[in-house]
Amino acid sequence: MTTFFQFIAILAVIAGTAFSLLGVLGFIRMPDVYTRLHATGKVSVFGVVLLLLATVALTPLSFGKGLVLIVLLVIGGPVTSHAIGSAAHRIGIPMKHAIRDDLTLKEVMAARDGDQGEGAGVDESAGVDDRAGASHVPTDSGAGGVG
Amino acid sequence: MSDILAFVLNIALAIHIALIAVCVWRVWRGENVIDRLIGADLVTTLMLAVLVLIALILLNATYIDVALGLAALGFVSTIALAKYIADQQMF
Repeated sequence: MTTFFQFIAILAVIAGTAFSLLGVLGFIRMPDVYTRLHATGKVSVFGVVLLLLATVALTPLSFGKGLVLIVLLVIGGPVTSHAIGSAAHRIGIPMKHAIRDDLTLKEVMAARDGDQGEGAGVDESAGVDDRAGASHVPTDSGAGGVG
Repeated sequence: MSDILAFVLNIALAIHIALIAVCVWRVWRGENVIDRLIGADLVTTLMLAVLVLIALILLNATYIDVALGLAALGFVSTIALAKYIADQQMF
């Protein structure tokens, strides 16, 4: 039975290390803040949780503490990623290779509906068709051939 | 089976320490402030993994307590820094 638990622990440690390696590789190689955030979320939710499953399987001494840490990571990881992504969008970090940005488009249309009498700052054609709305999308212009 | 487990744990510890070095280099040479914030969060998470691996190698459950405190503090610090960057004020 000890051999079985050690086999489970070996598999969990190998899988968790693979998730951490792929997450950091995505953090280096991804072109954008948002896609990097997508890659690094896997390190916290899958990598460390699989290592903690190995701990739970191997040492019965730290059973409850490992489960508490698993619950804390699974709840806290998506909250952290959402906070960082919201901050990045609010300070205007550009998206690469983006065709349209629905959140910026919605904010522009809400601002236009808000001060309809003045109309200052937002031109009239914003958000009516996609190409006019795309002028407000924070994309970089020379992203065509960048790999 | 125990020898294979010790070998795999030591290799995983070496890989995680190398990944921490890569993330620290990325925080140093980051593109913008959000990139550095992601790097700091990733360093905290990988340090958590290193603490769990040390607890597995030494078979000592005290390091799980240290990892629990580090997880709570890293969560709060990343949320606070993201709110500070977005709003330019903390509260």
